[in-house]
Amino acid sequence: MKLISKYNRVSILATVAVLVAGSICYYFIVRYALIHQLDNALRVEEAEILDFVRTNNRLPAATNYKDQHTSFVATDQGFRRRFRNITVYDPREQDNDAFRQLVFPVTIDRQLYMASVTKSEHETESLVWLIVLITVGVIGLLLVILLFTSRFLFRNTWISFHNTLQAIRQFNLSSKKYAGAGPTDIDEFRDLDSAVQLMTGKIVKDYETLKTFADNASHEMHTPLAVINSKLDLLIQGQNLDEVQVKQLQDIYDGVRRLTKLNQSLLLLSKIENNQFTAVKPVDLKELIGEKLSQLEDITRSGQLEVKTEMKAVSVPMNEYLAEIMVNNLLSNAIRHNRIPGSISLLLRREGLVISNTGPALDFDSREIFERFRKGDHSEGNGLGLAIVKQICDTYGFRVSYAFANDLHNFTVDF
Amino acid sequence: MRILIIEDEKSLSESIVSCLKLENYTCDVAMDYHVALEKIDSFDYDCILLDITLPGGNGLDLLRQLKEDEKMDGVLIISARNSLEDRIAGLQMGADDYLAKPFHLSELVARVKAIIRRRSFGGSNILHVNELLIDTQARTARVNNRLLELTRKEYQLLLYFVNNKDRVISKNAIAGHLWGDEMEEAANFDFIYTHVKNLRRKLIEAGTPDYIQSVYGMGYKFTVV
Repeated sequence: MKLISKYNRVSILATVAVLVAGSICYYFIVRYALIHQLDNALRVEEAEILDFVRTNNRLPAATNYKDQHTSFVATDQGFRRRFRNITVYDPREQDNDAFRQLVFPVTIDRQLYMASVTKSEHETESLVWLIVLITVGVIGLLLVILLFTSRFLFRNTWISFHNTLQAIRQFNLSSKKYAGAGPTDIDEFRDLDSAVQLMTGKIVKDYETLKTFADNASHEMHTPLAVINSKLDLLIQGQNLDEVQVKQLQDIYDGVRRLTKLNQSLLLLSKIENNQFTAVKPVDLKELIGEKLSQLEDITRSGQLEVKTEMKAVSVPMNEYLAEIMVNNLLSNAIRHNRIPGSISLLLRREGLVISNTGPALDFDSREIFERFRKGDHSEGNGLGLAIVKQICDTYGFRVSYAFANDLHNFTVDF
Repeated sequence: MRILIIEDEKSLSESIVSCLKLENYTCDVAMDYHVALEKIDSFDYDCILLDITLPGGNGLDLLRQLKEDEKMDGVLIISARNSLEDRIAGLQMGADDYLAKPFHLSELVARVKAIIRRRSFGGSNILHVNELLIDTQARTARVNNRLLELTRKEYQLLLYFVNNKDRVISKNAIAGHLWGDEMEEAANFDFIYTHVKNLRRKLIEAGTPDYIQSVYGMGYKFTVV
């Protein structure tokens, strides 16, 4: 639920509740005041009648106007002076009219009369309703204005908040920039923006530190590897090596080679992630794949792999070096996880590239095939080749997928 | 031939020196920026092996200094940073070649020799081993003046062997030299055997002694008696 809806819901509910309760109270108070006034008028009439009786020692004539009438009825029974409300049926308008009546005793020559002065409440009622209507109208208007101003206020003052939100969404580590919300006169939003600014600054700094660290660590590793390699190169010059020692030296060579490759792969991954390969130009994939295949010919031949190609001239805008890595890793994967003898087929079309190879089924979940360090139990790779392919494809918005069908591993890159 | 090795990792520079000495090169070693600068100022070298990250300064500054002084020393950068940009930057600044760590000593020797060949004057693109003659300009090999029919890989292999004669070259080094980094994908290097076998056959058929010897399971050695 949006904040403005929540805010409006609460404020409108509260306002309406207060309005209803207030209107009811108002109605009764105004009515009470007006009745009180009416009663005063009746008292004045009473006083006039009593005055007349005292002076003239007879009853005045009964009157009967529309709004007021007086009457005198002789009675034997005693009664108390009192105000009362009565309703009288009005045959003309066919409804009941409300009246306020004061009955009081008048005694002339020992004869008791019940005098009554009656005034119509019609005017009073009208007045009460008018006042209540005006009040409700004013409050209603107030409510509408409240709604509009709050919406207007929200829209304007919250611009800064939405800008901040937008800037956070657009923030990414490789661009290293937090755009900020721009100037605002709302303290809270300014605080928010500067807090986010501070936070993103810290994140960028931490990330840089980490990256520099990983970068340096990888590079620093190359020098000791170079030392090991050079010492091995010197060691094998020795004349008296036996078969076991040779095997051990070869194993060390292989270890160094794998460590070097792993290091390079990790560096490459982080470089791709950091968008350090910016130069983009149309890359002729058909030519590139052809070149790679001829480079790898020795390996495919020694692995007795039949290579079938069906390629149209396709050129894709990307970084040349990354295109090479992508093709190389896909082909290497197809060679490495093949069987002897086996086959590799390449299908290059405008929509994409499909590389299929024979080979034993995966011994892990195929959905994890592009994850870093995910590899089969018997794989001698470092588990980064396909992760790098995925990273490159992600960079250019290609979709890379894997499927196993008809005993073939199919890797598809949709451009 | 005089070579300056600018490398702060002592054990690595020791390896390099002991390897280059076998080629009868005179080797100087500089372990930091200032010593290197002094040596560069005082002597002319046929080739300088230059590490980029040095105590006291950056190797690229030394390269810049060399070019400013219009020195003709050949420069081979040996760097721990193996990135395209570093490579391009180094070459643009006038280095002759760029070798990323870790490397094989045989590869280093081949590169150093190539640089020295290119830098020196007159007929230097011809390599002699007895009756074998390699023209690095024309990329051809002759035995007793008869042209050898070699594939591109076989020629590269032969040149690599001749540059590293009397030295055991591991299969890893050969694979790295002929196929580059991509080769790591092949776990075994059986296919090297095919190329070596063919080259060896062609040499013997042309009338050379059996120069190429297999060394255990380790690699090969081009022995000139």
